[in-house]
Amino acid sequence: MRPLRTVVSVVVAALVAVSCAPAQRVDLGQGSGNLIAAIAGEPDQLDPQKTSAYFSFEVLENVFDTLVEPDTNLEMKPALAESWTVSPDQLAWTFRLRKGVTFHDGSPFTAADVVYSYRRIVDEKLSNVDKFSSVADVTAPDDGTVVIRVTRPTPNLLTNIGGFKGMAIVSRKNVESGQIATHPVGTGPFSFVSQKSGDSIVLKANPAYWGGPPRIPGVTFEFITEPSTALSALQAGEIDWTDSVPTQRISQLKDDDSIHLAVTPSNDYWYLALNEAKAPWNDPRVRQAIAYGVDRKSIVQATSYGSATANQLAIPEGNPWYTPYDKYRYDTDEARRLLDEAGVHPDRMDLLVTSEYPETVTAAQVIADNLAPLGITVNIRTVDFATWLDEQNSGNFDMLMMGWLGNIDPDDFYYAQHHTDGANNAQKFSNPDVDRLLDAGRTETDRSVRQQDYAKAATIIADQVSYLYLYNPSVIQAWTTRLSGYDARRDGAIRFRTASLSGGEDR
Amino acid sequence: MTHPIVRFLVRRLAYSLVVLVGVLIVVFALVQLVPGDPVRIALGTRYTPEAYDALRAASGLDRPLLQQFFGYVGSALTGNLGVSFRNGDPVAGILLDRLPATASLAAFGIVVALLIALPAGIYSALREGRVGDVIVRVTSQFGVSIPDFWMGILLIALFSSTLGWLPTSGYRPLLEDPGGWLRHLVLPGLTVGLVAAAILTRYVRSAVLEVAAMGYVRTARSKGLPPKVVTFRHTVRNALVPILTITGIQLATILGGVIVVEVVFAWPGLGRLVFNSVASRDYPVIQGAVLLIAVLFLAVNLVVDMLYAVVDPRIRLS
Repeated sequence: MRPLRTVVSVVVAALVAVSCAPAQRVDLGQGSGNLIAAIAGEPDQLDPQKTSAYFSFEVLENVFDTLVEPDTNLEMKPALAESWTVSPDQLAWTFRLRKGVTFHDGSPFTAADVVYSYRRIVDEKLSNVDKFSSVADVTAPDDGTVVIRVTRPTPNLLTNIGGFKGMAIVSRKNVESGQIATHPVGTGPFSFVSQKSGDSIVLKANPAYWGGPPRIPGVTFEFITEPSTALSALQAGEIDWTDSVPTQRISQLKDDDSIHLAVTPSNDYWYLALNEAKAPWNDPRVRQAIAYGVDRKSIVQATSYGSATANQLAIPEGNPWYTPYDKYRYDTDEARRLLDEAGVHPDRMDLLVTSEYPETVTAAQVIADNLAPLGITVNIRTVDFATWLDEQNSGNFDMLMMGWLGNIDPDDFYYAQHHTDGANNAQKFSNPDVDRLLDAGRTETDRSVRQQDYAKAATIIADQVSYLYLYNPSVIQAWTTRLSGYDARRDGAIRFRTASLSGGEDR
Repeated sequence: MTHPIVRFLVRRLAYSLVVLVGVLIVVFALVQLVPGDPVRIALGTRYTPEAYDALRAASGLDRPLLQQFFGYVGSALTGNLGVSFRNGDPVAGILLDRLPATASLAAFGIVVALLIALPAGIYSALREGRVGDVIVRVTSQFGVSIPDFWMGILLIALFSSTLGWLPTSGYRPLLEDPGGWLRHLVLPGLTVGLVAAAILTRYVRSAVLEVAAMGYVRTARSKGLPPKVVTFRHTVRNALVPILTITGIQLATILGGVIVVEVVFAWPGLGRLVFNSVASRDYPVIQGAVLLIAVLFLAVNLVVDMLYAVVDPRIRLS
């Protein structure tokens, strides 16, 4: 028994020693004073033009640049392009590039990099190729100038090329060496240092950043999936920032002075769509009956503990493109009246949702409950996302729930979803007035006329229930009170370029 | 002329190889049986035909089935498990990156489990039916029933948030930062260890009870041997074989990745890798991880078989 006893005492002694040591941070970031940010998952890859994962963009927002970029009000501002002009016929955009910008590997940034980056998206048909649907060609008359020619006036060109880092300017050398997916090289405020699989990614400040060197030495992104763990880590001072916040604790955190909580309405939205290729959902009155039959408030409460904002259109209040609209209310009698008027009483509905987005599963239960008094038995079909996409595209559903993320220009909100020829019009909505208005919006250069076009289109879309809009979720982030120069953005972009941390010693 | 123990081990090794072949077939079939085309899933919604053909050829999916199988087995045996769909990294490297974190967790967890389960199980068996036994049994029932993620969150709330003694999450490699390694290991290790301890305690108790009812134990007691000698030399020693078996299974299970605990503690181990790979349908990584976990199971069981021969001479001689 003696050896066992020795082992026991050694282990116990070690545990006691460890437990009694004063809590101190023992991580890579500590010595360097890096800002430690906890994100809820690991990026799938670090090639900004190829990834579609939000976790990747959270990191890459700080590594890459676009020609122009959205400010806090989502107006497009100069970034790698210092200025631009549009030809009188609206068909040629000329960008003057910022001088003296270098990639993180020291090589100079020139117009050839812009041409290469855009050609790559078009030639390899990357997922963002739609952003170039009106672009005829991209040329570089000299090192400091890029000309984009379009086939029709494109008022949202700036949003298309700068709305998010999926349109980033990449380094040809980095792409051709095959390194970009794991060791990206950009021009942004921070450069990539290392990644520990399943654990963290470390960035360090780029002292040559064109916007001025960052005030923190670097950023360490840790992957903490469990929100309650991330929150505990923030409260214990182990991390400085997180967007992995348990929604059920938001109301309690609002009163907590030791951390800063931001709940910012986002431009994302969740919706229901009824399959108009199938009877009886092809009748607008039946669709309106469903719109009166679902209780948005309960759905918002169930999916987000009330942190989201119910909305009957896609664009949230506060956005420059917002249109007020409140035709619908939760009214089972009105729903019944509309069904009577249409002369149909559907008794079954197949509702397609996916466990990849848990809010769709939660909302489906509320919706099934809401529609029961109308005599409709909702069959909730929960599938994985790949199957969900297949079923959507083959039209095998009565109703589905999904969200669209990262929209800026109204064209992003409506065209692909509601134009008869739209790429994502899975519900098969077709309305000549909407088509005309959406086509006009694509080429209208007078902002107020354009605004009216979209307001009219949106109203018809909601009246005819092409989409049954539910709510806009909030961007929810929490950070230490030591962090300044940072704010939550409604587009969900995480920018640490102007962040600074105070009092690094006493944590 | 061969020693019986060598024959015993050769037989066990042969069994393991048969199981390994079965595992290889299942792992290979995984990609063939998934609904939909794995290459299309890997590429997303939009891609060029060239990109499709390139990935299909790179993953060998364009070759005849049998050729694919032997190709897979051949490269798996040489340590080449293909590349991740997500970022093109070699799967073997990804798995090796994750192994130390999971091995640390498994070692710590099993030590905690044994330190609790052996004394508690033996004590409980020796006091069968009395208050001490009831307390141990109720506590272990409680431990078996409590979900491990809940235990993890409670430990974080107590030791990190309230007392501030230990970090909430994360992992530090042993060789780079031994102190940090241990400090980060305690909470997830305790979570894993406590759950395993609850299960082990029940097995230890019933194994000891079974042996204690044997005639030779009664004989030993009646010929006047001190209780301590009866307990340890006659009872516990003979109960070791079933205890070893269940300890081996527990250890292998933890090595295979305690998914929930690893997710709660942001632990970069195999469990979290499997969790993420399944979520993103990264089939080469799922295949590699399943294969590795199977190999670990076989290895642990082989070691347990060898230990049988050490603790029980009958096995050595039969």
